[in-house]
Amino acid sequence: MERREFLHDLIAAAAALVAAPSVVRAQILNNKTGIRYLRPPGALEETNFLGRCIRCGQCGEACPNRCIKFFGTDNGISSYGTPYITPREQACILCMKCGEACPTGAIKPIERNAENILAEVSMGKARVDKSLCLSYQGKSCGVCYRACPLQDIAITVGWMEQPTVTEHCVGCGLCERSCIQIPQAIRIIPNYS
Amino acid sequence: MKQHLTFWMRHLNKLRWLSLVTVFSMLIIIPVLGLYQTYVAAHAYDLLTPGEKRLYDTVEFFTGPVLNDPENDLDAIKGTTWSGTFFGLKLSDPLAVLGQTAAGFEVYWPFILTGLIPILLTVILGRFFCGWICPATFLYELNTNLGAWIHKAGIPIGQRHFDRRIKYLVLIVGLVLSALTGSVLVAAIYPPAIIGREIYYAIALGGFGAGAVFFVLTLLFDLLVSRRGFCRYLCPGGALYSLLGRYRLLRIKREVTQCNDCAKCNAICEFELDPMKDGFGQECNNCTACIAICPTDALLFNIDYKDVPYQGPGHLGHKYRENQLESLNKEVQQIYEA
Repeated sequence: MERREFLHDLIAAAAALVAAPSVVRAQILNNKTGIRYLRPPGALEETNFLGRCIRCGQCGEACPNRCIKFFGTDNGISSYGTPYITPREQACILCMKCGEACPTGAIKPIERNAENILAEVSMGKARVDKSLCLSYQGKSCGVCYRACPLQDIAITVGWMEQPTVTEHCVGCGLCERSCIQIPQAIRIIPNYS
Repeated sequence: MKQHLTFWMRHLNKLRWLSLVTVFSMLIIIPVLGLYQTYVAAHAYDLLTPGEKRLYDTVEFFTGPVLNDPENDLDAIKGTTWSGTFFGLKLSDPLAVLGQTAAGFEVYWPFILTGLIPILLTVILGRFFCGWICPATFLYELNTNLGAWIHKAGIPIGQRHFDRRIKYLVLIVGLVLSALTGSVLVAAIYPPAIIGREIYYAIALGGFGAGAVFFVLTLLFDLLVSRRGFCRYLCPGGALYSLLGRYRLLRIKREVTQCNDCAKCNAICEFELDPMKDGFGQECNNCTACIAICPTDALLFNIDYKDVPYQGPGHLGHKYRENQLESLNKEVQQIYEA
């Protein structure tokens, strides 16, 4: 009996040791801070990203548009020092220099052409709020369509310049940055959430 | 020949300070150059604020004669001591490599290879990063000097001693926590990484972040609790370097025939080592402060994979002479008795 109990405990302990990281990760990542942010273009999926990013800040230094900012402790300790983008303040111009600068591959290096960007970048997806969008309210606008670096691929416009976001949208946020409505009628829904 | 060598070794400490100042000023210059690059790339000089224009003009004045294409040429040196690019060569701190490996629970070779050169240098030269490069050391040593002045003014400063092995525990706990949370947490408590990051934040992003508070706390700890306490007892990077440099080839060795047991080396040593009794060990960072202060040139660099065990009192000291006299007396007495 004793041996059986011991084996039971051993298996339980082993299971706990294996499970502990994922539980702790889930606890720490589960920061419902309500901050809506984008990771730089080409960033890995959130869990892998946090395991790779060494908080060196070189992506931010490489960013010519200076859209990459860094978290303090406001999004949980696991996010401390990691890069993020708030598209309404300054959006990503998809220059792909951050991936080149990243030493750990937390941000993948991606060559700057439309095919590669469409295939590899997924920061989020734009969503139009039709009740706020001027074009849907009968005043043709089309600013977001003109701001989009992937015009007619990621976003199309119909009658009265009413925008429709396609599944190819990579989530750079230039549409959100340029929207003339306050608050913005188009916003990026980040991919990690 | 040997006299020449001694002369150079005595002045290595000044070279070290030059190195520390250079690294620290590079950490300030690189973000400034980075800002300038973004201004150049934007082609919008007319839209800059007066402050930004001043920065633009200043940097252009200094770099203009040298560079043809500042937007790309200035990419040559980027980053901090934590991780950076040096003329196309990516280099990273060994602690960054270890922390990432632990946090990601993976072996990612392209990144591990960036730590290879620093690791090799540490294996040969020991904890040289701590003494010669670390931007935090620059501030910590100035802090020690400040402490000495405060002490001279009659105000008590921290003189506590702890166990030096605590930092190995910090390293292990840091790595375990990094692995458990899947996030490179060692980056948050490692002063050189914090300094590089915070200087960049202050220059390019308009203000210091949370790390600056932590760093100021470590400065206060050094001043009020224990001299150089963070490096001695807590730094996870220092722990890793000590382990890597345990069998380093470049060591400081005491020439017992020259030593006069004045103990100046023990007093100057920032890491409370015991050079006067040949007590260097893995924690010596080859900073050469003891070589510089030694009045009789008894401390010199030596190539060996281990330290010499205690060689007894220095031959120029009182104790040695007393011992000699004593044994001489005994001999005389023996002869007399016989």
